[in-house]
Amino acid sequence: MKKLLTICIAVMTVLMMTTGVMAESTIKIAVVEPLSGNFKDIGDRYLEGVHYAAKVANENGGLLGKKVEIIPMDSELKPAVAVRKATKLIMKDGVNFFVGGTGSSVGGAMSVLANKKNAIMLSYGMAATSLTGEKCSRNFFRACATTDNQSYALAHWVADQKFKKVFCIAQDYSFGKQAVDAFVTKLKELNPAAEIVGTVMHPVGTKDFAPYVSQIIASGAEVVFTSNWGNDLTLLLKQAKPLGLKAQFACYYLNDENAIRVVANDEAVIGSVTAEIYMVTIPTEANKKFVEQFKKSEGRYPTWLRGKAYLATTFLFKAIEKAGSTDVDKVITAWEGLVYEGPAGKWTMRACDHQTQMPIWIAEIIKNNPYFEHAYVATPEEVASEKVSVPCDKTGCPGFQ
Amino acid sequence: MSDIAIFFLHGLAYAGLLFLVSSGLTLVFGMMSVLNFAHASFYMLGAYFAYWLLQITGNFWLALLISPLMLLVIGALVERFLLRKVHVLGHVHELLLTFGLAYIIDEAVKLIWGTNPHAIIISGFLAHTVNIMGVTYPVYRLFVFGVSMALGLFMWLILFKTRIGIIVRAAVEDSPMVGSLGINVPLVFMGVFSVGAALSGLAGVTAGPLLSVDPGMAGAILVDAFVVIVVGGMGSLGGAVLASFIIGELQSFGVLLFPDFSLALIYMLMAVVLVIRPEGLFGEKQ
Repeated sequence: MKKLLTICIAVMTVLMMTTGVMAESTIKIAVVEPLSGNFKDIGDRYLEGVHYAAKVANENGGLLGKKVEIIPMDSELKPAVAVRKATKLIMKDGVNFFVGGTGSSVGGAMSVLANKKNAIMLSYGMAATSLTGEKCSRNFFRACATTDNQSYALAHWVADQKFKKVFCIAQDYSFGKQAVDAFVTKLKELNPAAEIVGTVMHPVGTKDFAPYVSQIIASGAEVVFTSNWGNDLTLLLKQAKPLGLKAQFACYYLNDENAIRVVANDEAVIGSVTAEIYMVTIPTEANKKFVEQFKKSEGRYPTWLRGKAYLATTFLFKAIEKAGSTDVDKVITAWEGLVYEGPAGKWTMRACDHQTQMPIWIAEIIKNNPYFEHAYVATPEEVASEKVSVPCDKTGCPGFQ
Repeated sequence: MSDIAIFFLHGLAYAGLLFLVSSGLTLVFGMMSVLNFAHASFYMLGAYFAYWLLQITGNFWLALLISPLMLLVIGALVERFLLRKVHVLGHVHELLLTFGLAYIIDEAVKLIWGTNPHAIIISGFLAHTVNIMGVTYPVYRLFVFGVSMALGLFMWLILFKTRIGIIVRAAVEDSPMVGSLGINVPLVFMGVFSVGAALSGLAGVTAGPLLSVDPGMAGAILVDAFVVIVVGGMGSLGGAVLASFIIGELQSFGVLLFPDFSLALIYMLMAVVLVIRPEGLFGEKQ
């Protein structure tokens, strides 16, 4: 018995020593995503993008001469779970860098934790404007659009197309309301002649959209703005067309091949538009190269979430490289004002609120595309970052101490 | 005028779906006094089986036929090997068993088909639209209502106009007496439970093309089904028909008239019914 105990202790000591050695030779990035439950598919796709960014970095000699190590962390989409697991990673494994894209509530909790423990939380998908607004933190960075940015981009498109009658439909909770408010405010500013012929907030998880669709038809709308996601997006589109709705949709999240596949009716999506910071069809040389290499390495296209996670993680790597160190304070200083000219255009990390200033791309859904058998996004147009940006003094971020 | 007619039609289609989902639940409760929490999971299985069958055969009608049959078998197995064992322990145990079963099915579905949503694609005349009073209307929504009407009528005929119906109803009233008359009462209960499961399977297939097939679909429909049977009266077939109709129309016209609290209307209805008639519209006093 005593012998067994000695062996155990010996083995554990060796294990601890080796992990200790490894800790020094790698840069650890924890990926905060729902990796189980109903949103597993979203988390998995983001994770794939982060993995690919690490793979590219490691193939090119790593970061600061060290290998990048990715640690997937299942947030279960619960802020308390994310904080508990992240605290353990910080305290026991010395992880300083966290990235994640799903659930603004998780992002808010991680932002507070990162501030308390002096780590960095980077979001490439959490859209709540407040994260870099009223709740901004020195340790929280965002490399994706806020609801304001995305709504502004769609407002620009609707104004440019000179639509006169616009209908808004969104999910009845803070996100949907913010998206509609930002869209309407910007549209009024850009084209006062455009009329909002109706606004409907429906419960999240609505199964029958027929009564809403009939209202849209009765309003005579030419275009329908929607920030819906998940089933609320696919069911709306799927049920609208057979009920005779002819208006185009201007959507937040139609850049998702899964959504288009589940609508299962190309006629219901063709002609609608979607706005995002990354699309596989962005016509820059850098993007063509990225898409080609990703396809070659992973056997599929870096659509939507994969691309977004890759770009944002690469941006973090650039900041670490510029800092020349993994020291959190040095990385924060280096990242502020850093410019990244990548596949999705010119990105600048703004110092006042740590919100990346980036163009947003708008594309129509078309039938024929080289990526899928079903319809998918066409080559997008760029909406310049200045057009969708919120000035520093309007974000509500009081600044960092 | 045509506006009101269209919203009425929307209400009917949704009522059809609600009745399909709640009919099996109310049947099992009415005839066996088992509140089947796994009912919505059976419904989800029905939709996934249909998706799977459609991939193999490409024929929606075949899926509509076979998927409920598969649920019929699953229902029989669950009753024979699980439910019957805990029956003697009382209703709470039966409830807990179906609750656990729901969890197992939900996780199994995620393991087998993943969390990505899928679509059941219909073709042929079901995918067409018709013109009703100058308004385009999808044939499939009418089909959903038609299926539920046919099902309601069929269930009424079986239960109240045939010998099988007499035996089932008698077995609920006084099972020792029915047993002593030489009727295999456990077999009757097994039959009732598996028919209930088959009905939820039918609901799943029918709902599939209108909604999407995903692991969250069971949870999304469970509350609706319970609201219908609470309002209609637990175990009452006529009550389920009436409650489905009221809730479907309330939902549709609620969106038209009070868009800001259309969802609340349904729960308000349930509260009012529970205050005035706690046993539900057609329920029997316990």
